[in-house]
Amino acid sequence: MKSRKWLVQVILIAAVLLSACGQAGGGSQEPVVLKVGWTGAPDTLNPAYAFLTESFTIFDLTYSALTTQAVSGEYVGSLAKEWTHSDDGLTWTFTLKDNITWHNGEPFTASDVAWTINAIIADPDGWAAVSNYTANFVEAAAPDDKTVVITLDTPVGNMEYRLSWIYIVYPPDFEVFTTPEDLQNFTNDTPTGTGPFKVTSFDKDLGVIVMDAYADYFDGAAKIDQITFQTFDNSDAMIQALKVGDIDMVIDVPQSAFATVEGFENVKAVKTAGSYFSELIINSVPEDFDPAPNKNPALDDPQVRLAIAHAINKQDLVDAVLQNLGVVGDTIVPPQLGGGFWHNPNIQDIPFDLSKANAVLEQAGYVMGADGVREKDGVRLEFRLQFPSDNPLYPRVADMLTAWFKEAGIKTTPESVDPDSLYSQMTPAGNYDLVIWGWGPDPDPDFILSVMTSDQFVDGGWSDSGYMNPEYDQLYLDQQVTVDKAARQAIIWKMQEMVFNDRPYIVLWYEDLLRAYRSDRFTGFIESPLGIEIHHSMLQVEPVQ
Amino acid sequence: MNPRWLLLKRNLLDFWKTFRRNRMGLAGAFLVLTAILAAVFAPLLTPYTPTETMRDAEGRALTFAPPSVHAPLGTDDAGRDVWTQLVYGARISLTVGFLAGFIAMFIGSLFGITAGYFGGWVDNLLMRLTDVLLVIPDLPLILVLVATVRQLELKVSPLVILILVIGLLYWTSTARLIRSQVLTIKERQYVYRARAIGAGNWHIVRKHILPQIMPLIVANTVLILSTAILIESGLAFLGLGDPTQPSWGTMLNFAFDRNAVSNGAWWFYLPPGLAIIWATLGCVLLGNVLEEMLNPRLASHHLEGEQSIVTQP
Repeated sequence: MKSRKWLVQVILIAAVLLSACGQAGGGSQEPVVLKVGWTGAPDTLNPAYAFLTESFTIFDLTYSALTTQAVSGEYVGSLAKEWTHSDDGLTWTFTLKDNITWHNGEPFTASDVAWTINAIIADPDGWAAVSNYTANFVEAAAPDDKTVVITLDTPVGNMEYRLSWIYIVYPPDFEVFTTPEDLQNFTNDTPTGTGPFKVTSFDKDLGVIVMDAYADYFDGAAKIDQITFQTFDNSDAMIQALKVGDIDMVIDVPQSAFATVEGFENVKAVKTAGSYFSELIINSVPEDFDPAPNKNPALDDPQVRLAIAHAINKQDLVDAVLQNLGVVGDTIVPPQLGGGFWHNPNIQDIPFDLSKANAVLEQAGYVMGADGVREKDGVRLEFRLQFPSDNPLYPRVADMLTAWFKEAGIKTTPESVDPDSLYSQMTPAGNYDLVIWGWGPDPDPDFILSVMTSDQFVDGGWSDSGYMNPEYDQLYLDQQVTVDKAARQAIIWKMQEMVFNDRPYIVLWYEDLLRAYRSDRFTGFIESPLGIEIHHSMLQVEPVQ
Repeated sequence: MNPRWLLLKRNLLDFWKTFRRNRMGLAGAFLVLTAILAAVFAPLLTPYTPTETMRDAEGRALTFAPPSVHAPLGTDDAGRDVWTQLVYGARISLTVGFLAGFIAMFIGSLFGITAGYFGGWVDNLLMRLTDVLLVIPDLPLILVLVATVRQLELKVSPLVILILVIGLLYWTSTARLIRSQVLTIKERQYVYRARAIGAGNWHIVRKHILPQIMPLIVANTVLILSTAILIESGLAFLGLGDPTQPSWGTMLNFAFDRNAVSNGAWWFYLPPGLAIIWATLGCVLLGNVLEEMLNPRLASHHLEGEQSIVTQP
């Protein structure tokens, strides 16, 4: 009991301190603090082994990479001022900007860049979060303080995109780790970076990250003095905090609260087409795979997959589950990537048509049984329908799918499973039938395309469908080394078509990106087709006078 | 007619006469019975199924719609009728509550009688075990247990885990209560007499102890039910229930996760909350009244009814 009282006191003191921080804005000497609320939290601030979006939001503010994605979607220099590549595309030479310093005041040099890139190449296990971006890299060198030379073993089509994810770290912070495990366990609570904000504290228990503006940031210091990120366990509490002005911005407004937030006074709610999608995964692990998959063999029948696709009312899912804040999905490359350049617009989605679904199954020889479940040669169309338990949308999706499938003579039993257990049950054990899950793709299609490749279906890999198609795998390698944009687009369109027709995934929807801020307090947020972009916005925002 | 039946009938009638005059008890019985009836006759009480989405004229899902003629308690985040969810939810909430309550009652009575009757090291062992469970804070323990068991990937429904965990942890107060009662009963004259004429342990427990503590067990069970329903709701609210078989707690969990408060959709979170109060209040009222009426400390012992047979040869 005693310790609990003590804890309450600490929380009270912290709350008082925090609210004291929040009283800013009265006098001209008061620091300007922008308070951001979110429902997530970074898993770690170590860029070598961070996997959550929240971590990367912080990295974008505290670290810098050679390149960065501009608001327009184009890749521009960040640490790099300019760059060229040799005619064969194998040698890339970057010239760095002047006056770059680390947060501790030390000068930043080209050898820091070379060290980071070489460290990732040397230890892909330890740097698991970013090692796929250095595929085809041979080495990085720093002939002088301002020049970085990267050599490749084959030309790469998306070099600028890849480099924008490689945050250059302060070598003394990372040199000490000798094994991949040591590096992975490093929490890096106060990172030393070169970005516009430096993390002054990261309190995991209170869920508060405090970041001070770095006055000597090489691209010009931010106009605000401090950003705080506050994690809310409950999104309703977060929405109320925005309403009364305890926080100034929410960067992940839940769909179910967006209409309410739009009605708030002095709050601007911004909705933009997003790239996060959810899909129905159909177990596509080949029967001869080792370990052998445990699934209903009827799922291997393309006609069954077609019938399943006919039995899904995607528009209804968007209406009811996403509260109409999204659009129906078809391919694994959402229309937002690269401004729509990579999304294959020629794919005709399978329409929702229950009688068609029944007809397809009837024709394929699946006879309706007395209990309303179709059957062929003793194989009943009866599937497990699982979903991760940490998502509030998926139980609704599972119920709706089950109701439609029933009309087509397919019986599914929804089950909510702990996400870690679900992953280990799927990859590479292949012990599932149908699973509802989702992805947040990178701006470049490379990552989301890699999810469907055969060699990702290993423990710790990204593939969960077990889709194995040598032709697709080859196309994936081809698009990586195709420098010509139009040629790469043609390959990527073909890949989307293959996944769409083979249906390891049935993409259900693309979610809108929902953010909101106090328009009476701050101005200057950049609203682009990508939504309110955090990194660039934070450099621009200023208090309303 | 069998005299034993007559006796039972007389006892029940006596009981009903007393009970009828107790307003609290009647209210409790009413609350509990209506909840059970709603659960049993759920399909008759609503024209919809719990997973059915309500639609407007254009076929679009009606989410967070306020109460209307079609949906008396409005619709939830997925456009389903809240009233339908409520009556079907009663099935899950009450089933989990009752099964867990009965498991707890059974274990508690078994441990209580064994410890109280046999005494000595058996008593010591069982009571220390009870003490250990009593001093561990229940809710954190249950949370950790449920979460851990779910990690094991057993092929059972989360509801079964809930029932077992609640049932296997909430027997301690029953065990202590029963034990203390058994301790006083076993020292009574008629127990000594029975033993003197050669009655075995089993006979004594069955014929002389169990009938004496049965009313206590019944009253205690009703009280445990309310705890079990509350704990189930709490766990389901924290997301440890089965989202595919919604109980009242799961409804609250969805209301919370899906921002019913921000949406002003009071019809989504108020009904399940009130339903939980309805059922638990019913159990508490009924249990308290039963305990008062049946407590053997306040009533005369069972041999009194047969006294006439003894004195009139």
